[in-house]
Amino acid sequence: MKNIKSLTFVWFILIIAFLNSCIEQIDIKTIAFEDALIVEGTLTNEFKFHKIKLSRTFKLEEEIMNVETGAKVRIIDDLGNNYDFQEENLGIYISDIEFRAKEDRMYQLKIEISNGKSYTSIPTQLTSESQIDEISAVREVDVNGGEGISILINSFNSNGDARYYRYEYEETYKIKAPYWSPYDAVVVSDVKPYEVDFVPRTKEEKVCYKTIYSEGIIQTETNSLLEDKVSNFSIRFISNDDFILTNRYSILVKQYVQSFEAYTFNNILKNLSGSESLFSQNQPGFFSGNIFPDEDNNEKVIGFFEVASVSEKRIFVNPRDIIENTPPYISNCEVVAPELESNVGTSPLIEAIKTGKLKFFQINGGENSPVIPIPGGPYQMVPVPCSDCTVLGTNIMPDFWVD
Amino acid sequence: MKKIIVIIVTCFCFQVINAQNIEELKIDIIFSNKTKLEVIKKLEEQTSYKFFYINDWLDSGLISGNYKNASLNKILDDIFKETDLNYFISSENRVILTKNNLIYDHLPNAFYNNKNQKANSPKDIEPVFYDDNIVSKIKKYETVRIGKETKTYSKKNYTLSGRIINSLTGEPIPNLAIVVLNKNINAVTDINGFYTIRLPSGINYVETKALGIEEANKKIIIYSDGILNFELNESSETLKEVIVEANRDRNIKEVISGVTQIKVQEIKNIPLVLGERDILKVATTLPGIKKAGEGSSGYNVRGGKEDQNLILLDNAVLYNPSHFFGIFSALNPFTSGDVNIYKGSLPAEFGGRLSSVFDIKTKDASTEKLKGEASIGPVTSNLTLEIPIVSGESSLLIGGRGTYSDWVLKAIDEESIKNSKASFYDFIGKYKHKIDKDNNLEASGYFSNDEFSITSDSIYKYNNRLLSLKWNRNFNNKNNGSLILANSEYKFNIGFDGDVDTDFDLDYKINETELKLKMKYLHSESHKFDYGISSKFYKVNPGNIKPMGNESIIQAKEIPEEKALESAIFIADNYKINKKLLLNIGLRYSFYASLGKTAQRKYLKGEPKNESSVVDTLYFDKNEVVKKYGGPEMRFSVRYFLAPSLSVKGSFNSTYQYIHTLSNNTTASPTDTWKLSDLNIEPQRANQFTLGFYKNFQDSYYELSLESYYKKTKNTLDYKVGADLLLNKYIETEVIQGEGEAYGVEFLMKKTRGNLNGWLGYSYSRSFVKLNGKSNEERVNNGDYFPSNYDKPHDFSLVANYKITKRYSFSANFTYQTGRPVTYPVGKYIYKGEEHVLYSDRNKFRIPDYYRFDIGFNIEGNHKLKKLAHSFWNISIYNVLGRNNPYSVYFVTDKGQIKAYQSSIFSVPVPTITYNFKF
Repeated sequence: MKNIKSLTFVWFILIIAFLNSCIEQIDIKTIAFEDALIVEGTLTNEFKFHKIKLSRTFKLEEEIMNVETGAKVRIIDDLGNNYDFQEENLGIYISDIEFRAKEDRMYQLKIEISNGKSYTSIPTQLTSESQIDEISAVREVDVNGGEGISILINSFNSNGDARYYRYEYEETYKIKAPYWSPYDAVVVSDVKPYEVDFVPRTKEEKVCYKTIYSEGIIQTETNSLLEDKVSNFSIRFISNDDFILTNRYSILVKQYVQSFEAYTFNNILKNLSGSESLFSQNQPGFFSGNIFPDEDNNEKVIGFFEVASVSEKRIFVNPRDIIENTPPYISNCEVVAPELESNVGTSPLIEAIKTGKLKFFQINGGENSPVIPIPGGPYQMVPVPCSDCTVLGTNIMPDFWVD
Repeated sequence: MKKIIVIIVTCFCFQVINAQNIEELKIDIIFSNKTKLEVIKKLEEQTSYKFFYINDWLDSGLISGNYKNASLNKILDDIFKETDLNYFISSENRVILTKNNLIYDHLPNAFYNNKNQKANSPKDIEPVFYDDNIVSKIKKYETVRIGKETKTYSKKNYTLSGRIINSLTGEPIPNLAIVVLNKNINAVTDINGFYTIRLPSGINYVETKALGIEEANKKIIIYSDGILNFELNESSETLKEVIVEANRDRNIKEVISGVTQIKVQEIKNIPLVLGERDILKVATTLPGIKKAGEGSSGYNVRGGKEDQNLILLDNAVLYNPSHFFGIFSALNPFTSGDVNIYKGSLPAEFGGRLSSVFDIKTKDASTEKLKGEASIGPVTSNLTLEIPIVSGESSLLIGGRGTYSDWVLKAIDEESIKNSKASFYDFIGKYKHKIDKDNNLEASGYFSNDEFSITSDSIYKYNNRLLSLKWNRNFNNKNNGSLILANSEYKFNIGFDGDVDTDFDLDYKINETELKLKMKYLHSESHKFDYGISSKFYKVNPGNIKPMGNESIIQAKEIPEEKALESAIFIADNYKINKKLLLNIGLRYSFYASLGKTAQRKYLKGEPKNESSVVDTLYFDKNEVVKKYGGPEMRFSVRYFLAPSLSVKGSFNSTYQYIHTLSNNTTASPTDTWKLSDLNIEPQRANQFTLGFYKNFQDSYYELSLESYYKKTKNTLDYKVGADLLLNKYIETEVIQGEGEAYGVEFLMKKTRGNLNGWLGYSYSRSFVKLNGKSNEERVNNGDYFPSNYDKPHDFSLVANYKITKRYSFSANFTYQTGRPVTYPVGKYIYKGEEHVLYSDRNKFRIPDYYRFDIGFNIEGNHKLKKLAHSFWNISIYNVLGRNNPYSVYFVTDKGQIKAYQSSIFSVPVPTITYNFKF
């Protein structure tokens, strides 16, 4: 018996050694840093000020993005029209005039960076148009068994010449502060004897709106299908524990028709960065888009200058009509009553007001008050986001908003 | 043993110097159907001649004759025409018969070292002198006389040929070495036991040497071309030195360059990994054969891809030659016979792979005695039995090997370990049956199975199944042939059991059946032909994925089956122009047809193959030819002796390969699949030139070789950046067919005998790939040549064994290799709001260099003759220095965060102790 045990032990050690030594995570450090220009820009058929974003690579161990500032950016077409861009923000270049990409024209992006190096994109044509037919929000259970809402796209192009689609969205949701109060606590005296009071709030802090923009590449293709038809393509899944579903929610979906080259570029980018396992490793490497340096052919430029036709559609959703479980509020709204003066002589209440950690909710009980008091000081206080929605969004209702 | 008969000719000759001048007597004699003895008696009666002879020399064959007024010479010439007997007529009317020898009545011209007088007419013949002092008297040599010494014609060398058979079983003994002592001449029997050897006239001390076969020692006195057959017994005990002898000078003599032969017996003492003697692992210590890393399952031969090796086990293709991520080879060391690895010039009979042929033969079981061999190691155990079925006619070899890790793992009370798996087993069986003297049949079967978890939620299984049947027929002394039928199947399965609803089951399978006819025609001393025809049928099930369990949301998907037929005809002539110059001219014509039923996309010509360039989809019926490929393959090699122990060899080799692997070399990915050439994927091609010098020193104690090669490949598959290969129906859109270039110099020094033996190998080699397609996505690194995944310029190996006493020996091996290239992240960037990683040019960086030092200590059991079993202990430590050799470095983006992983196999010293015994 003893022998078997010791054999087992030997085996245990061996297997542990084997399994552990097999794959280990190592510190990621930049062995050799390669500085490269990144270009993000999509010229669309919308009549607007167009935007080109320039940045540079940064080291693996760093967190700060480097922008490319002071560059000369312009778009030219094959008729010789020139559209100049000015740097509006660091690395963000906006066209001087509003314009739209026209059919049958070839556009080229030209960039000259501050050190004199210049880059040009391959001449690119506007893609075919395709309209979004319908956006729907449906209940779905995700891979982990969680409930949520999926935003599905349907579009159909009878010409069959669009085929490659990329999506971006802007989602806007209404925020209602659950512990909002018309009053704010103010400090009257922060020296002994401590004194606080409450005054009416001056700005809207109960209902706010927040708009967020999609990140990353969401794309699909219909080339493998007989018809150029996108059916129920899910561009967004929102889990039912995501607080953005607490109240009314709206999503604006933009559908860009891409060229095959743009689709491929984005697809490789996605493949290389997607969640991977040992079984689905992709061949890593550098892949160029359609922007190349004018001189040194070996210099790497990342990015794809797209000239895309776009269509958009917005829907409003009341999440509670779709999913059963309402999501919790963003913050854990614990109601507390800090003492005005503690037994060591400090004032936790004044401290909380002054640092802006807590916000007034209601008076902690008292005569004729329906409030059931909790042990502590004079006021019931809550974390700021529970009472003031402006820390989460804007109190100005967007123009498009329909309740 | 008979006493050695030495006849001293010279003195006698002086006495009889005038014998021929005496006036000859004229004789009248008539005889019919008389024996030679009777005729001699009659002659003695009729004349005054007295005959001196031994009765046994005279055969009982009947002769007839009618002579009138004939000289005695004339009569005797006729009588002894067909025999080994010579006669000498002395002055005293004595007739002395001699067997083989000729009695001379004058001294040869060269006797007084008069070099000007060269033997240039048939009359100037040189008698054969015996110099018998060269052989120690310890060994007993049976004297054999071949042919009859003639006055009229004499050559320096004669050809001795014959067949060597096992006296017990009557089977031919192949690969038996026939060695001429002190003369650096040797020959090896072919598969049917035939041999041919050129011997200098006169006495030759000849020894036969082979594993498990009793030595035969003969003193051969040769006077003319002749035949000598041997019947040899099996021997139970073999000596290590014997094997080396058998191989002696093969390196410098053989015409084919770049051949590596590994004898299982030779590697007995090499330090082991987890107790397994591994023939293929030994191969990687020889220059030119590499592994991408410890954990990779394939071999890179001379800068070729892993899929370019034809690995044959008893003529059937072994698709996955390894167990346990490549830590063990799939070959059972006890049942494996010899392995020949052709890395330079491939014999014309082989084809279908670009870089090399690993020709592995299972040994034959004894037909007389039940024998066995077993080993007990920490991870595996092995048992092999040799079972005679019909004595002298048929035998069965069975071997089984397995790990006991699984039930040990299950016994562990730890949830994470309990469910992990790491096990394998393999079985091999070989049945050999002798039908008659000229026909024999061999049947082999092999099955291996591997099962392991690479991540906690997945189980990976694969197995090889091989079946082969071979019928050897010997038509006559000059013609023999083999008919081979072989089938092999390789499949793998991945079971993923992670989150409930993503569970899946993934399968892959390849099956091939080959029929091959291989013929040998020994036309003459200078021409030996090998020719034949072969045809192979492939069936591939590229994969299907099925949801596992009811809750899985994985969509079932199946990639349609692929089929193809690959055939070839081949002929090769081993053409010996003269003693120094030997050619091997081979030609192989291979043709390939991809067969339906299938749907194949047609892409715009001149455009990159992708979704947007599809113009049509073509549908093919069952067995309809989709696409044909083919072409001639040249196999040419030449050997020239610059000096008796120095040769130079060159070769040119061209090959076609119709099957490709899709593998991602960036990790130890076990999902490599084989893909057949089709409408959109062309066969790979290669051309290789080699030049090498081979030198043996000190009576072949040391073997030295320096080989160089240059290889160009075309249409090898590589991957587009970001390629996704798993279950992809349109593989052609994810791959690029590129060019390759490889070159290198290989140096090998071997000490074959002595207490200290081993080898030292070094190679400097490079391997590059060029992917320069029509568009950006088909171009890698700007379309320039870049190092391949397995480009390891410096490779150094030292393997040494030191025999302390007969029972104890010590061994060590050291390996150093340049780290392999990797594609490394060189920065980060934000694109469309997401963080991405910028990768360097492909394979721009290298992982750290690889080095490893292993030691082993071997203890043989005592050498008592009457022991029940012979035992053998091996204690070894793998990776003594505890070097953490990374196998690969790779990067995974997980939740927007990039993580780097390093995989390595044995980062700590691994000690093992193994017990082997043989009965």
